[in-house]
Amino acid sequence: MILTPLHLCLILSSALFCIGLIGALTRSNAILVLLGIELMLNAANINFIAFWRYGPNPEAGTGVLFVVFAIGVAAAEAAVGLALVIAIYRHQRSIRLQDARLLKG
Amino acid sequence: MINYTAIFHALRPEASLVVGALVVLGLDLWLGRGRTEGQRLRLSSLVGLLAVAAAICASLGAGSSGEVVDGVLILDSLGLATRVGVLGLTGLTLLLAPGTSRVRNPAELVAIILFATSGFTLMAVAQQLLLAFLALELASLSLYILAGFDKSRPASAEAALKYFLLGGVSAAFMLFGFSLLYGLTGSLVLPEIARAIAVNEQSTLLMVALVMILVAFGFKAAAAPFHLWAPDVYQGAPTISAALIASASKLAGFVLFVRLLWSGLLPAAGSVATFDSVPGWLPVVAGLAGLSLFLGNFVALAQSNVRRLLAYSAIAHAGALLLGVMAAGVAGPGPLFYYAATYGLATVGAFGVIAVVEQAGGCQSLSDLAGLHRRSPLLAACLLIFILSLAGIPPLAGFFGKFAVFAAALKVGGLGGPLGWLTLAAIFLSAIGLYYYLLILKQALVLGPAADRGKISVPANAGLALILAAGLIVALGLFPSVVLGLF
Repeated sequence: MILTPLHLCLILSSALFCIGLIGALTRSNAILVLLGIELMLNAANINFIAFWRYGPNPEAGTGVLFVVFAIGVAAAEAAVGLALVIAIYRHQRSIRLQDARLLKG
Repeated sequence: MINYTAIFHALRPEASLVVGALVVLGLDLWLGRGRTEGQRLRLSSLVGLLAVAAAICASLGAGSSGEVVDGVLILDSLGLATRVGVLGLTGLTLLLAPGTSRVRNPAELVAIILFATSGFTLMAVAQQLLLAFLALELASLSLYILAGFDKSRPASAEAALKYFLLGGVSAAFMLFGFSLLYGLTGSLVLPEIARAIAVNEQSTLLMVALVMILVAFGFKAAAAPFHLWAPDVYQGAPTISAALIASASKLAGFVLFVRLLWSGLLPAAGSVATFDSVPGWLPVVAGLAGLSLFLGNFVALAQSNVRRLLAYSAIAHAGALLLGVMAAGVAGPGPLFYYAATYGLATVGAFGVIAVVEQAGGCQSLSDLAGLHRRSPLLAACLLIFILSLAGIPPLAGFFGKFAVFAAALKVGGLGGPLGWLTLAAIFLSAIGLYYYLLILKQALVLGPAADRGKISVPANAGLALILAAGLIVALGLFPSVVLGLF
């Protein structure tokens, strides 16, 4: 099987998504989990760019448009996430997720 | 050439909500100085309610005139009903807020509630993946902030962080699934995606995309096994935020889910009508529904915290709503909408009662509700209606919601397949659910109050909101065809 550039991009994005997911699920530091989520979002962005560039009609620009918005959303998400990390740091003086165990049952 | 007048006309509800949010912030800056937080919250809520009322008028004015801008938006009866529904639920939440929540930034609270609501109303009419993603994220990001709004309590911050991290992962899953759909079909508009999938043969990549989108929606809808955030958020978030997260966001999320699945992914639906099921998203949704129904109902039995109990009951209701999603292809979205809207009303009401009791000395464990009928007969009567509606007792709206959804699900394949048996299980589990709902009512209506608990004075606005919600539940229960006939 011959690997086209599209295939290579998809392999890269899938690998990035998996790395991000593993990071998000295994890390105990809230900021590193946030980093994992950002990696997953950017993997999806690579997909959009690849499908747009090698797709049937690259003139339409749909994929690029989606990516521009997705980057904006990711930035907003990082801002909200860091604010919440600061909020929890004020209470428990650490951002380890194991220390956040007030709520359970 | 893009018709900007048409876009503006279709998006007037969102515009009035956003303008309302900005006016709330500006007025608070201008008039708020030197006033108490209670006064500022009253002013902000009043302006917020006006914005919601304007948005309801604008949605009715926009009507159901069909597709706008090449199918990016769709104004149909479902979109109109959902817009009015989420706006009504937000209105009730805003009406509850003054006097029942003590916040340091009242104007910001109301503004973020309005931003979240504009996300909900956009979700109700989105028919394109980009708009759906943006609307969902606008709503979700606002809800994360609302969950963490009470900065004085560690539980609130913890709930918000958990909600955010799980929600962020689900957003990434959704974006990845959307990107694969775009790659497979070359389009973002749902009907075109459906056409492209129908022409092409079904590929593994399509299944991957489907699973990713279902995982993401499972998170948003709090369906098992992606429900882990729900109990923590319901318990830790400020009561007003929990009411919004449990009601309006559910309604908007399920409507978007139905649109995405039935108008965008219909050719990949598969089948669950018979036991030799065809692969597609229907069998996966059936699995999620069954798991949510079982887990929600059984774990709720063991809860002693009233908010966690409501959260597990919400998971069980998510299972029933997923049955409605599966039946929407045959019976239309009417039963699902009726169920989600009346469930939202009952939940807002229940959280409203909790919010009022909270002001009179805390309301976390079930025993905090003890003797409510002596402490405040009005609250006890309203709670009775809300809880019985959640349990599905006729003639309240909750019963007809369950009846309509289960009847629609049974129409799909009768008892000859997994969907029929799942519906039977759901009916049986509703009977189990009655037990934990009655546990709440036993505390509120049978037991006497603890010695140190006195009478509760209900703020006038909160009393009005509770009576409105209870009245709507009774009225919609007596005349279900008012809503069911819309579709």
